[in-house]
Amino acid sequence: MIFRRSLTQLGGRVMAMARDVGGVFVLTMEVLRALIPPRLDGRETVRNLYKMGNRSVPIVVLTALFVGGLMVIQFAAFVKQFGARALVGWGTGYAVFREVGPILIGLMFSGRVGANNTAELATMTVTEQVDGLQALAIDPIRYLVVPRVVAMMIMLVALTVIGDAVALIGTMIMSYVVLDIHPYTVWYSLVDNLGPSDFLHGISKSLVFGAAIALSSCYFGLTVRGGAVGVGRAVNAAVVGAAVSICFLDFLMTYLTA
Amino acid sequence: MIELRGVHKAFAGRPVLVDLDLRCDRGEVLFIIGTSGVGKSVTIKHLVGLLRVDAGEIWLDGRRIDALPERAFHAIRRRVAMVFQGATLFDSMTLAENVALPLRKHGRMRAAAALADARRRLDEVGLADFVDRYPAELSDGMRKRGAIARALTLDPEVVLFDEPTTGLDPINARRVDRLIRELADRRGVTAIVVSHDLASIFAIADRIAFLYQGGVRACGTPAEIRGSDDPVVQQFIQGRASGPMETPGF
Ligand SMILES: Nc1ncnc2c1ncn2[C@@H]1O[C@H](COP(=O)(O)OP(=O)(O)OP(=O)(O)O)[C@@H](O)[C@H]1O
Ligand SMILES: [Mg+2]
Repeated sequence: MIFRRSLTQLGGRVMAMARDVGGVFVLTMEVLRALIPPRLDGRETVRNLYKMGNRSVPIVVLTALFVGGLMVIQFAAFVKQFGARALVGWGTGYAVFREVGPILIGLMFSGRVGANNTAELATMTVTEQVDGLQALAIDPIRYLVVPRVVAMMIMLVALTVIGDAVALIGTMIMSYVVLDIHPYTVWYSLVDNLGPSDFLHGISKSLVFGAAIALSSCYFGLTVRGGAVGVGRAVNAAVVGAAVSICFLDFLMTYLTA
Repeated sequence: MIELRGVHKAFAGRPVLVDLDLRCDRGEVLFIIGTSGVGKSVTIKHLVGLLRVDAGEIWLDGRRIDALPERAFHAIRRRVAMVFQGATLFDSMTLAENVALPLRKHGRMRAAAALADARRRLDEVGLADFVDRYPAELSDGMRKRGAIARALTLDPEVVLFDEPTTGLDPINARRVDRLIRELADRRGVTAIVVSHDLASIFAIADRIAFLYQGGVRACGTPAEIRGSDDPVVQQFIQGRASGPMETPGF
């Protein structure tokens, strides 16, 4: 009996998930169609860029600084044991640029900006502002979703670039403090061993994560049901959806380019 | 010009509209009245494609529109404007920006020109001093008037008003009545007005449709409705608490 009930519940969950994945896919198609011809509402895009970037930079800087330093502390024992001082820059750079930077900043961006965006769109939906927009013959996809997708992609890439740079600074500081390695050594270890492709690998991930976060947050925002309670649920679902997509897409992109 | 034929609409299996027939001619001011929850807002949302019929037909200007795809409703929505019950101004914009939005999007106006035009329109509904406020900083009645100004920006042929005078003081309510009447008389605009406001109903309506239990129970000129011998209609327009009317809830 219990077994049967949990099986039914599991079935329901799977169905709901399939519906959401399908919904996000349909939204993606609609966004792509709305981009031909590429008409973008400048004001709405700029407003979103400002809102998203405005207070994200300090948080990203702070985290990146710690992550950069933290990598060195983790490495320190091995560096001392094997005398691999020349590899510190390369090691941290490789990890941060290709993996840690995009994924960490992506998750943080989703929790801050994506959640905020879902709440905004969900509130607009339950208070009939989205219907109001449609009644004015303005397409919510073109006017609300496309600018947000574009803004999030741009902003996440920008934040990742900033985060990469700051993490590097964190690495240099901690290398000097913990291992007494001169920042120059770290820098040359990095530029001698890493190419633009490592950097671009991370950036392309950020671009994709930005799109995934935006689509997930817009989808759950616009399909909200049931007033204020629904808004809370939508935010929750959007953050979870974005986190799962980020990990999945990261795996996929790493696997395909390896 | 607008006709609903045998419209059915249910939400989660609960029927709201059952075989509803309604007609509205060009330049007419048609009032839709009925108890709360009877389906007045649901009815007019069908006319701009925000809700779709389960069965039945909707005609606009001799063209059947109920089965059109979402894209096709764009053109219709520029001709048929709607003022929502809850005003639905956009929170992220000031009053003037709200009114300027359709001008900017459809009127191909530049932002500055659209804002100037929006201010002029808001002045007409007595909101000149509040153009730079956000909706959250306004009263309900102000928001409603702002929404009316916004709905009229595209010079629509038909305007659907969902309780335009609810929440307004008597003076502003009568001004809105006058505005609706003038739109019809001077510009030939067709107005469908959902209302509970008996004063405005009997002052400006050309015809009144009384919704009851999913359909139109009575329809006619104000004089005809007043003189109706249907006890349900009489109970409603006289506002008696007890009578033959079956209302859900109580
Ligand atoms: N999106 C929806 N989902 C489910 N039920 C709905 C929806 N919209 C309306 N309803 C139901 O349809 C019925 C009619 O609602 P409607 O908003 O049309 O009432 P109304 O006549 O406009 O009332 P009021 O005068 O209070 O505004 C109500 O019972 C409501 O619960
Ligand atoms: Mg209503």
